Amino acid sequence: MSFIRAAILAALTSGAALAQEIKVGGLFDFTGVTSDVGKSFAQGVRDGVQWTNANGGVNGKKIRLIDVDYGYKMPEAVAAYKRMVGDEKVIMINGWGTGDTEQLKDQANADKMPYVSASFSAALTDPTKTPYNFFVAPSYSDQLRAWLKWVKDDWKDKSRNPKVAFFYGDNKYGKSPIEAGKQYGKEIGVDIVDEEIVPGVFQDATSQLLNMKQKGADYAYINVTTTGVSTIIKDAKKLGLNTRFGSNPYGFSEALPAVAKEAAEGVTGVVPHVPFGENVPGMKKLMDFHKKNHADDAHDAIYVRGWTYVLVWGEALKRADKANALNGPGVKAAMETLKDYDLGGLTNPVTYTATDHRPSTKTAIYMIKGGKLVKVAEYDMPRKPEWLGL
Amino acid sequence: MRCGDFRTTYAQDMAIFDSTLGRGFLAAFLLFLVALPWGASSYWMDVANRIGIAVIAATGLNILTGFTGQISLGNAAFLSVGAYSTAALTTRGVPFLIAVLSSGLISAMVGMVFGFPSLRLKGLYLAIATLAAHFIVEFTVVHWESMTGGVNGISVAPPRILGYAFDSDRKIYFPILLITAGMLWFAKNLFRTRVGKAFIAVRDQDISAEVMGVAVFRHKLLSFAVSSFYVGVAGSLLAYQARIISPENFPLAVAIDQLGMIIIGGLGSILGSILGAIFITLLPELLRLATGAAGQSFPALGDLFVSLKLGVFGLTIVLFLIFEPDGMAARWHRIKNYWKLYPFSY
Repeated sequence: MSFIRAAILAALTSGAALAQEIKVGGLFDFTGVTSDVGKSFAQGVRDGVQWTNANGGVNGKKIRLIDVDYGYKMPEAVAAYKRMVGDEKVIMINGWGTGDTEQLKDQANADKMPYVSASFSAALTDPTKTPYNFFVAPSYSDQLRAWLKWVKDDWKDKSRNPKVAFFYGDNKYGKSPIEAGKQYGKEIGVDIVDEEIVPGVFQDATSQLLNMKQKGADYAYINVTTTGVSTIIKDAKKLGLNTRFGSNPYGFSEALPAVAKEAAEGVTGVVPHVPFGENVPGMKKLMDFHKKNHADDAHDAIYVRGWTYVLVWGEALKRADKANALNGPGVKAAMETLKDYDLGGLTNPVTYTATDHRPSTKTAIYMIKGGKLVKVAEYDMPRKPEWLGL
Repeated sequence: MRCGDFRTTYAQDMAIFDSTLGRGFLAAFLLFLVALPWGASSYWMDVANRIGIAVIAATGLNILTGFTGQISLGNAAFLSVGAYSTAALTTRGVPFLIAVLSSGLISAMVGMVFGFPSLRLKGLYLAIATLAAHFIVEFTVVHWESMTGGVNGISVAPPRILGYAFDSDRKIYFPILLITAGMLWFAKNLFRTRVGKAFIAVRDQDISAEVMGVAVFRHKLLSFAVSSFYVGVAGSLLAYQARIISPENFPLAVAIDQLGMIIIGGLGSILGSILGAIFITLLPELLRLATGAAGQSFPALGDLFVSLKLGVFGLTIVLFLIFEPDGMAARWHRIKNYWKLYPFSY
């Protein structure tokens, strides 16, 4: 008898558990042009969700991540979004690229759908225009500003300004921080002498590099993903250029020295989320999870990024749940209550307000030394109102 | 019981839908399409709208490639011309139907410009010339920022007719359905006219066509114009449905997909364009649903299923080409003819 009662009880509680599920949409790139970094991020989000569910969930409720590979194709992203919102009734979305996030921002606003993107485009930080868009890092623009500041500090020849070139693709992601970079360069005395356009996928950057050499750039910022950065710095080494390269958080991670080998030596990068295994208090749960579930896999800062996303919106879900407002506007409001929310050093504390969705303006600069990522500087950009959205 | 296909009047011979059963099926299918918004979720309405748009674009490409024999890789470009024309016109307050029509006409003009090389070029050479059209248009769209918004894209207001806004997938479905039906009706009848027959003559043997008195170059250009008009209208509707368009919406892969639609559906067949567009639009959705479900049950294999999606897509196309080289339309006719005379087919 007791056996039957236990069975019924188990059935009832599992039914209750099912009812207490929170559906979160995930829009990832496993197969498209950004899959070199997209897989790692998606893995981080998936593992973060699994860890959260194993550690109490959202006040006891389980998160169910409904993720979709959209291959960085816009119509597929729109279709996937409509399915997640219309059919699956997700409460919020963890998105990916700049192209699709900006494509969907009006729709997300109309649907009151919190949209936490892996795109750090500054265009998404102004709540008067994109009230439902969030991300967890300093914006691409602030990252580029910090890197330019590092260039200025690193430049020893005081007789002239350092000359900087930008490499980017002719798309939303590539162009996102360029305007901000040009303005800031002018402000602090860094000359932007060259802009080179690279295609979405490319195996050779020689002609762009020779162009850049003619303009005499001392430094170059590469605003593409890891595979592209690796191509450019390898070609630069072949050509014997002594330009010093830097890249953004999707071009610079542990994956870069792994693919570019010795060409990556001395390359700098913006690192808003610490490399995997870095000695910070927040890393312990990642290491434990890693050892328990997939001890042989290699991970990087982009994987850590995926985790921090879940930790941030997971906290917002908890707060929304406590306020009895597990819906779009409720989650948005809960996100905006996060003030100096500490992530154990995985990334800088994040703050969102109803008037400013820049989570943080602090950016660390790392350099590859002996195949390892080493922190060389950290900059805190001022939270200027005129920089909101730029 | 019928044992042959006998026609006793000219009207019977001219009829597009030549059997009562066929007309019945058509009526039932149209009824199903009209009733769809009351049964389908917003996601499936989005899929239905994209199918409608793809049907128009594929029909346009089929007019050029399937019926006139001119290969084109410029379809994504013509699609973006239509979409950006609509965006530019609506921001200047042009009403819905006029914007759709003008976008088609603008696209037709652009199509004619890029059709000029067809005077001298044939086959693969023409394909490469139209490929150039793709890159020229893409470059223009990215750099003409005042008109197109550059890489940031441009928003399009929802269509309005007499003050009623078609601002959701469920609502915009009806204009798309009507326009698609109208354009299919026109295309089907086009090939019963002198112009349409001339297109086919150009495809089958351009020298013979010239000898018979068909002005080959004029008809090639006209075919480019009609085809681009169709694609432009599709682009216009796409802009209205997506509500925000950027260069990333029109990669070369779109042109390849549309060629895939008419090859799988059937070159030189209106029905083929419809079947091919449905198939190529639905296949990735169904594969995603299937691999998604499989990934949920076997999380460890999730990544494998994701890559499988691309493989299965390619494999399906290859299998189709091997086992049904004439396209789905040919298979459809064979099935239909089998049942029409069942069980006394001689």
